[in-house]
Amino acid sequence: MAAPDELFCWEGDWGLPSVSTDCLVVLVRVRSLKAPVQLRRPICSPWRSPGGSLPALRTNQNETLSRPSDIIIHLRKQKFNADFDLSAKEGADSLAFISLLEEKLMPALIYTFWVEPKNFVEVTRRWYAEHMMFPLNFFLPGRMQSRQLEKLRLLRGDEHLEAGEELEKELYRDAAECMNLLSQRLGSHKFFFGDSPSSLDAYVFGHLAPILKCKLPNGKLQQHLKSLDNLSDFCSNILLLYFPRDSREPSAQKAPAAPEAGDFDNVPNKRRKQFLSALFALGAMLSYALLTGMVSIQHGHQEALEEPPDPEHIGAHEEEGDG
Amino acid sequence: QFLLADRFHLKSTAAEPWPENATLYQPLMDDQILLSDHASSLSVQAYLRMCGLPIQVVCRYNAEYMSPSGKIPFIHVGNQVVSELGPVVQFTKAKGHSLSDSLDDVQRAEMKAYMELVYNMLLTSELFVQWCDDATAGEISRPRYSSPYSWPLGNILAYQKQWEVRRKMNAIGWGGKTLEQVQVYEDVNQCCQALSQRLGTQPYFFNKQATELDALVFGHLFTILTTRLTSTELAERVKSYSNLLSFCRRIEQTYFEDKKLMKD
Repeated sequence: MAAPDELFCWEGDWGLPSVSTDCLVVLVRVRSLKAPVQLRRPICSPWRSPGGSLPALRTNQNETLSRPSDIIIHLRKQKFNADFDLSAKEGADSLAFISLLEEKLMPALIYTFWVEPKNFVEVTRRWYAEHMMFPLNFFLPGRMQSRQLEKLRLLRGDEHLEAGEELEKELYRDAAECMNLLSQRLGSHKFFFGDSPSSLDAYVFGHLAPILKCKLPNGKLQQHLKSLDNLSDFCSNILLLYFPRDSREPSAQKAPAAPEAGDFDNVPNKRRKQFLSALFALGAMLSYALLTGMVSIQHGHQEALEEPPDPEHIGAHEEEGDG
Repeated sequence: QFLLADRFHLKSTAAEPWPENATLYQPLMDDQILLSDHASSLSVQAYLRMCGLPIQVVCRYNAEYMSPSGKIPFIHVGNQVVSELGPVVQFTKAKGHSLSDSLDDVQRAEMKAYMELVYNMLLTSELFVQWCDDATAGEISRPRYSSPYSWPLGNILAYQKQWEVRRKMNAIGWGGKTLEQVQVYEDVNQCCQALSQRLGTQPYFFNKQATELDALVFGHLFTILTTRLTSTELAERVKSYSNLLSFCRRIEQTYFEDKKLMKD
């Protein structure tokens, strides 16, 4: 085999190897198949990826694959396929449940991360803005959001879809039903088919893990997921099995970085910034006043009082009167 | 669909029995209706027949615009209008008719998953073949879609619909590709293979009794088999699974014996 394939993925957070569902699906599949794919250092710019979007797999024939299903098919073609062990019926079930995930759960995922206003502003946009480099962080999150909203609109077949209570209720209801169905199908087993994970396990993990791990202000999906014990255990299990490094909670590392953050804003060094900006403003005002002559610094206060008033000073006073 | 958001309304519908004059609306059979719409319509008809509920099929050229969700088909029952198979199933369930009550939880999960499989793979492929393949769109879909209208309205509407479908294909990553590039036939094959595996040698997908999954699969497969397109490849993929063929024949003979469906 020639040089190994290279995989580009979004960076991880909240105890996950990646924040993107598609990336997670591919990562789990690669790990569970022990495929010799080289994982490039997690990047935070889709512009750096060969296909212009993430995830992306650059094969050794310099071909770029972007859709998770394409990537998995490619891995399968190279004979790294655990699904061979699945019976034909299980393979069919696998396909059916993946469709269920994509039709019922994914719209809710898109909504909760990208469309719901509070979640988007406080978590998603902040995360992407913080992790992208200048100047991408100014416009790329907004562009990603409009693309996701467009996708949601097309999926639902409604041109004028907007964030709202009704839509949220409908989407979350579908998602809750989907999670219930998955839970019923999983039962008390470790994986959906047999003792080793298949592509269905990868897809389920990719969709559920962000919901489980990310702390969102509007966390109705997370509450429902946490109430389904077997699904939560399933996710934690896969995390421990394949991503032990990431599964340690990162909150311990984050805490020292912002000790004086304050309760209402997470901007570090807020007080110092406020003080500096006030100082800067004051300095600017003072220098303007000095330069235009509204205020003049007088040396020798006593002499000024005894001397007759200077014409310049009269001029300055007049200006003062005007100003 | 908009009806279902109002649960209180549903409870009030349960009280009324199924009327004799329930009607199903679809576009004109001979000249206008397209593959995907016909498949959906046939699924709903099959489902209602399986439940033993009488329904009259009425063809109207503006059925799509009359429908509350914009999708075909829709049924007019009493003073309510419900469109698409999913909501119709819920509606009949509220009236006390259901085909999937005897399934256990795991089976119901599988049934829902397989229905989504049909929507995801089969319906999407049908839409793609109809509207994104230039040959099919130009020779069949656009002429048929615009047939009830005079020029230039028909043209405008047809192109509008085509544009809408192509945008949807963009969202799922199939935008701007030809039939060969997008593994449409491969998807259809995989879907049929999965359905064939699940069906096995049983008469129906679950137990010995038909469910909404059977209605849905019948609607789509039968339509694919009996609709003439620019190429027969879609039908060929389905034909290669003999148990699916006999399944379609069996459903047709059992539930549609009084009605002559479109036959090849």
